[in-house]
Amino acid sequence: MMYTEANSPPTPTFRPTNRVKKAFRSATSQQWFGFAILATLLIFSFLAPHFVSVDGAEQDLGAILTSPNAEHWLGTDHFGRSMWVRLADAIALSFGLAALCVLTASTAGIALGVLSAWFPTRFGKVVELLTTILLALPGLVLVLIFAAIVPGSFWMLYFAIALIQWVEYYRVVRAICQPLIHSPEMEASQLMGFGRWYCFKRHLLPAILPQVLTIAAFGAANAILMMASLGFVYVGIQPPLAELGLMTVELFPYYSDAPWLLAEPLVSLAAMVLGCQLLGRRNA
Amino acid sequence: MSLLNISNVSVYVGDTQLLAPVTLTLQEGERLTILGQTGSGKSLLAQAIMGNLPKALTRRGQIDLFGKTNLSLKEQKAMWGKQISMLPQEPWNSLDPLMSAERQLTDTEYYVAGKTWSTALSDSLAKLKKLGLGHIGQKRVDQLSGGMAQRVAIACATAGGAKLVIADEPTKGLDVSRRDQVVASLKEQTEGGALLTITHDVAVARQLPGKLMVVKNGRVVEQGESNDILSNPAHDFTKALIEADPLQWPNSENLASSQEKLISADAISVKRGKQTLFNGLSLDIHKNEVVGIVGDSGCGKSTLGDALLGLLPVESGCVVKHEETQPQRWQKLYQDPTASVTHSVSLQTLLEDLIKLHKLDASKATPLMKRLGLTHELMQRTASEVSGGELQRFCLLRALMLEPVFLFADEPTSRLDPLTQKDVSELLVQVAKEQGCSVVLVSHDPNMIEKRCDRVIRL
Amino acid sequence: MKDLLFKRFIQLIMVAWGVGTLTFILMRSLPGDMAYRLAASRYGQDNFDSSTAELIRHELKLDQSAWSAYFSWLGDLLQLNLGNSMVSDLPVMDTLSHMLGHSLLLAGVGMIIAILLAFPLGLWAAKYGGWADRLTLLFSTSVRALPVFVIGVLLILVFSLELELLPVAGFGTPAHLILPSLALAISLAAVSSRIIRNEAKRVFNSSFFEFAQIKGLSTRKAFQRHGWRNLLVPVIAFFAIQLITVVEGVVMIESLFSWPGIGHGLAHAIFARDIPIIQGAALLMGIMFVVLNTLVDIISYYLDPRIKQEFSE
Repeated sequence: MMYTEANSPPTPTFRPTNRVKKAFRSATSQQWFGFAILATLLIFSFLAPHFVSVDGAEQDLGAILTSPNAEHWLGTDHFGRSMWVRLADAIALSFGLAALCVLTASTAGIALGVLSAWFPTRFGKVVELLTTILLALPGLVLVLIFAAIVPGSFWMLYFAIALIQWVEYYRVVRAICQPLIHSPEMEASQLMGFGRWYCFKRHLLPAILPQVLTIAAFGAANAILMMASLGFVYVGIQPPLAELGLMTVELFPYYSDAPWLLAEPLVSLAAMVLGCQLLGRRNA
Repeated sequence: MSLLNISNVSVYVGDTQLLAPVTLTLQEGERLTILGQTGSGKSLLAQAIMGNLPKALTRRGQIDLFGKTNLSLKEQKAMWGKQISMLPQEPWNSLDPLMSAERQLTDTEYYVAGKTWSTALSDSLAKLKKLGLGHIGQKRVDQLSGGMAQRVAIACATAGGAKLVIADEPTKGLDVSRRDQVVASLKEQTEGGALLTITHDVAVARQLPGKLMVVKNGRVVEQGESNDILSNPAHDFTKALIEADPLQWPNSENLASSQEKLISADAISVKRGKQTLFNGLSLDIHKNEVVGIVGDSGCGKSTLGDALLGLLPVESGCVVKHEETQPQRWQKLYQDPTASVTHSVSLQTLLEDLIKLHKLDASKATPLMKRLGLTHELMQRTASEVSGGELQRFCLLRALMLEPVFLFADEPTSRLDPLTQKDVSELLVQVAKEQGCSVVLVSHDPNMIEKRCDRVIRL
Repeated sequence: MKDLLFKRFIQLIMVAWGVGTLTFILMRSLPGDMAYRLAASRYGQDNFDSSTAELIRHELKLDQSAWSAYFSWLGDLLQLNLGNSMVSDLPVMDTLSHMLGHSLLLAGVGMIIAILLAFPLGLWAAKYGGWADRLTLLFSTSVRALPVFVIGVLLILVFSLELELLPVAGFGTPAHLILPSLALAISLAAVSSRIIRNEAKRVFNSSFFEFAQIKGLSTRKAFQRHGWRNLLVPVIAFFAIQLITVVEGVVMIESLFSWPGIGHGLAHAIFARDIPIIQGAALLMGIMFVVLNTLVDIISYYLDPRIKQEFSE
């Protein structure tokens, strides 16, 4: 507002913080619901272990498959371990993996997408070749192969999932940026002398951000699903660590004696995935 | 017989009136043109008569079609194609994207007019040939130009034998020569029936003799014989509309432009994609002069400007700038203002960005804004929150802040409605001259170029 | 058409090469002595000696230099020789070709049921809106939140354990096919029914559909002449994307229902560190993926004249 006359009202300019506020204002009820589910689960996973004195690995073979009671609020599993604590551990693990995968994959995907839209010949072709190889196999199969090499490793899972997920960001970002880079609005900015960073900040980023947020929400859901799937076929996280898919398969044999035990990881898993998916849903 | 008789028809969303009551009749063999600005509720009238208003809207008043009163929507729908038909506003979206033009027309002849397949086929081929479209029968809509698609749509809409045809902005987005072709086809295909045309274009109204009705903000301000009204308008709004037609503009005063060359093209040829658009073209632009370039769409008008600005490489020949200045003093105005400004931040922020980048004198902005009719309040909005005319004036402001020596204006007013078009183009030429900036103005409308420019180049 | 098939053929080669090279690199690049690790994990820490490790080393050509091993492996691949299983010692090709048939049966039946579920649901939601729309949205949202194995578990709980109508797992009779294919179909239909609904709504609200009626076609005729094809083109394109879900679903469902297909084989091989089988299974799944994609391409090619033109130019 350098040049306005003294009497003109000082109006706020549009800044990123305003954009966040705007996103909150325009959030749909579905998005709020998803946010609430995730927030509840997150708080549970952080606080739950502090309410009880046992830890998740502690076995009590004298009290196995108990139903929820005053001591074990969610019952105990087939080794007498507290389900309350194990569930909190498993949810925290899933959130951790999802967050890491989203951060890594989105950063890599945006960077590569923008760069290959900007330098289609030098850079774009190489990245395109890389994605063709990665997309040649369904993601889960690729993750299975990686998991086969170092079984039970969280970091290998993270690496494999992030490796297949960046492609989605990359493709969408590139598809949005390609026409934008040759668009009148960017040509105009360049004619006026603005540089690449400015073009990224003002033209590209605002255009890709909503899409990236949606992909991130669904990507988080997929990462959680994938880890659970791998746990379910015994090639993901290994016992005794608590992981939702692994817990499902461990507790399945005790279904008739203790159905609530099987329900607990299943409901947590469904709630997490639902929360992410609702969060990613925008008004069409 | 009166084909259409409506009394006090109005359109509401909830309790809000969108279209004030209209009463009109249309006899067999008559033409009625409704003239008014975009957004004045004219399209709603067409949809109310047709019976295809969006679900959220309700219609009040009475509509009689072909002597039948109190028609339900279902009864109205049963008359579609056979008795009453409507031309689409956007022919590109209104034809099946997967089916050839000829097939769509033959379909209509077969299913609606009830001919045998072989008659339908030969009739549709004959009809396409008559419309000058014999060669495009096998093409799909994405392979047709806007004008061709509209003529195919006219053929389809009238194939079922409808006597009453409603044309809602049938020439939207077409350049002058294609517009005239479409209007001629429209006249020809509805000969003997009744035609109700809705348009914002005075030139279209001129080409369709018959009755005329002028609408402003959903209210009829004037009606009568087309010729009478257009030659002798009574209402101020009608006068303004007529004056907005470039033919009626006053000639621009020829300020003395210097003979000093600013930029020259020497025997240049430029390709766009695989197509060579022009070959061995030479021209000089002098300082402080307004040069117009006219030609049909696709002839390379925009390409020429881009080549002058160095945005496109020239295949042969060369472009010489005779003045050594900073690159940002060679500017461009775009056809579609909404596509040439980012919508992510307020106009104010964009202006501040520019001032910061080139360390411009910020105090220059306020008088320029005043001159261009831009308020500080307006500047707080984003590009999506202002009108096309306002946005184009903002683009002009940004360009002028850089004290340009050369401004290439690529159809800067073709997306604006006629009244705004007149204002913006006038402002553009005047302010540029005041600032001593040369302008190359491109348009498909020779009349507009004629009135605004010192010199015209035809491609 | 030729170009299209050629493009897919190139992709096929890329898959074979990519999968093979990837497993090869991963196996080689790991720290420590791979043969010892494999032997240890296969036979237990105390039950193997250096001769077993040597055997594995030789089998996997770990005793050769990286490049010569790589090229001899590629050469084998060209002759479709994938080696022998390290567990059963049977040729990998024989084992896998058996499994592939079972997997294709499951995938095929699952996709057919999915289509039979998704089209009526999607069209119903698009046509009537309101409650129909909200109900199908609820179905879709809740099913999408469940991984496919959970859908399978729930089906087993209800139809096998509670109602005792169908076998829990296994293979052989048509009854064994019902639950696995249904689990796959439900998870596919949850997404595709919404896509069909969106595309149907797009067609119903499109200018060309309205104009078809304005020029005189009845709503039914307009849908026959101009609705179907325009609806199918994007839906088929979506099916191509959903093939990923099909393959992933098959892996999970086969493991859950002990269906003797390729996914089950892969999971088992991973568990048993049977590297030739892992390579072969991944390879075959990649090929299955490409073949299914090609089928979708061919259908799109005949439905959408614009694709035909693109390839003829």
